[in-house]
Amino acid sequence: MPPREKTLQDSEIDVRGCRLNVRRSGQGEPLLFLHGAQGLNGHEPGLEALTADFDVIAPDHPGFGRSDLSAAVDDVADLALFYLDLLDTLKLDRVHVVGQCIGGWLALEIAIRNTARLKSLVLVNSAGIRLKGVPRADMFVCSEEDLLKLLFAANGGAQWLQSWRATADMEDIYDRNRAAAARYSWSPRLCNPKLDRWLHRVDVPTHIVWGSEERVIPPAYGAALAHLIGGATLATLPDCAHMPHIEQPQAFAGEVSRFIRRAAR
Amino acid sequence: MKIFIFHLMPYAHLDMGYAEKYRAAWVVLPNTYFDPKKGHELYNRYLDELELAAELGFDGISVNEHHQNAYGLMPSPVVTAAALSRRIKSAHLAILGNAFCLREHPLTLAEEHAMIDCITGGRLITGMVRGIGAEYFSLGVNPANSHARFQEAHDLVVEAWTKPGPFSFEGKYYHFDYVNLWPRPYQQPHPPIWAPSTGSTETIEWAAHPSRRYVYLQAYSPTQSVARYLNYYRECAQRLYGYTASSEQIGWSTPVYVSATDAKARQEAKPHIEILFNKLLRLPFEMLFPPGYLSAKSLKNMRSHKRSVSGQEHTIDTLIEQGIIVCGSPDTVRKQFMDTHRLLGFQNLLCLLQFGTLPRDLTEKNIRLFAREVMPALQALTDKQYAGMQVRAAE
Repeated sequence: MPPREKTLQDSEIDVRGCRLNVRRSGQGEPLLFLHGAQGLNGHEPGLEALTADFDVIAPDHPGFGRSDLSAAVDDVADLALFYLDLLDTLKLDRVHVVGQCIGGWLALEIAIRNTARLKSLVLVNSAGIRLKGVPRADMFVCSEEDLLKLLFAANGGAQWLQSWRATADMEDIYDRNRAAAARYSWSPRLCNPKLDRWLHRVDVPTHIVWGSEERVIPPAYGAALAHLIGGATLATLPDCAHMPHIEQPQAFAGEVSRFIRRAAR
Repeated sequence: MKIFIFHLMPYAHLDMGYAEKYRAAWVVLPNTYFDPKKGHELYNRYLDELELAAELGFDGISVNEHHQNAYGLMPSPVVTAAALSRRIKSAHLAILGNAFCLREHPLTLAEEHAMIDCITGGRLITGMVRGIGAEYFSLGVNPANSHARFQEAHDLVVEAWTKPGPFSFEGKYYHFDYVNLWPRPYQQPHPPIWAPSTGSTETIEWAAHPSRRYVYLQAYSPTQSVARYLNYYRECAQRLYGYTASSEQIGWSTPVYVSATDAKARQEAKPHIEILFNKLLRLPFEMLFPPGYLSAKSLKNMRSHKRSVSGQEHTIDTLIEQGIIVCGSPDTVRKQFMDTHRLLGFQNLLCLLQFGTLPRDLTEKNIRLFAREVMPALQALTDKQYAGMQVRAAE
């Protein structure tokens, strides 16, 4: 694993023997941000914006970023139990969980198992379910150039890629994140085909946010999730593809904050 | 030295204009480009070519596995080997390789290999490979687990071949309550296992381990890389494991074309070999190396290598110059193999004598000329002609 950079927000948490790198800052109710297949590189203005209202906790999942791989975690179902252990370790209660892409899938796998420590869910371009006949773009097979077009509706991709290329250490983490994303989501790609059967168990207020230009997991998935999860609300972010927390940070943070103020008091 | 003919069975009728519309001859190339009637002709022609080689005294006939592509039409090399198994009376049948770890149930392949070994009276060689990265897209197998799954599939198959059944196998990826192979392989304890690779230190260290001592086969590489990896096998055996590897444990696989003169060989082979490298092997980096398929270190090396050569199209001249292919008059080809053997001492050589669009007549001429003018001198080579590692180092 690459050596850690020393930044103020980064800290290390031990979850049953797995060293997890966690960024944490802000004041307010705890908000756990579960990142997607692309991981985190410290340039996520949408997360920064949330720190104004919340105590934002954003770990690198096991195998991503600067977190250890865990021998106990093979798939997203294992990850869900791992994160329930994390919530126990941090003794967090009434947590707002925001998950994007694989992180949204993970949030759902957590919620169908145990919502005792959760207060609300926000699912952003969430993976997890499978809609037959709705094709998704493959972020693993495409070229880097096409990947950027998939992730961003406008031209934010070049700058995002630049921050991964800033240092050799970051380049290594970029590769590490791709490998970890494959480990958890290669097949069935980005979904648990049985997840929809259990979504009735999601018993916390849930808000679904989708980029209007999202093609990795097209907007039809957002509509389907809204249908499957009781009482869920759905919002669309214009001019936005897979990475709202980077491409439309204010709109992203606004959706999260407004929903939590409105529905999850 | 043992000489094998190797075939990829390419879809030689591919409309090469595909390259303007599709990124690769793999994974995403629509199978509407495949005409089954032409496929019928090609399969039978290619099988004829392999049977001819057996008649002409090659020590072995070798086939391999690739999925969903125009480069090689053998998703199941077992089918090819089975089709050959009754016609070929004395040569070895080498499946180099089969990707046991791509299967949900590697035991079905273990059974099929045991059948071929029994049918041929013990002439099967089993190659074990991970499959190239593109295969992990085509078959939906997770590339991030491929090393671990490869090793577990290997352990399962070897146990199934050697351990009295029924027994249970409890692995991480494979779980079976009744492992009890009928038939057992003809060769005892099991058919020879080879490890073909395009150069992976992990594979070399694994193959050279004293509990295995598998033949390491270096495929498709410039002479420098062939030398580096074959010598690394010997060094590995010596330094890591404390034994001297035998030259029978290493092999080299390369396209070969022989004609009356160097100029004629170059002229005849040129369009066909260039199609192999530029069209049929057209694979973007992301398809060749899906995430997790390579270790972090190997991926980094591969990426820097790729950046240095990106955009280069191969020509027959660059291929010959780098030693990726061996092409010329019988004298030239014989001398090149004998010189390389003196330096590297490999006792197994796989020759790809049909490649790309090389047509039936030129392929047959190539096979016959190689068998008559080149092969006898190579088959006579032993360790006596190998200069050895220390001599080489002193040069």
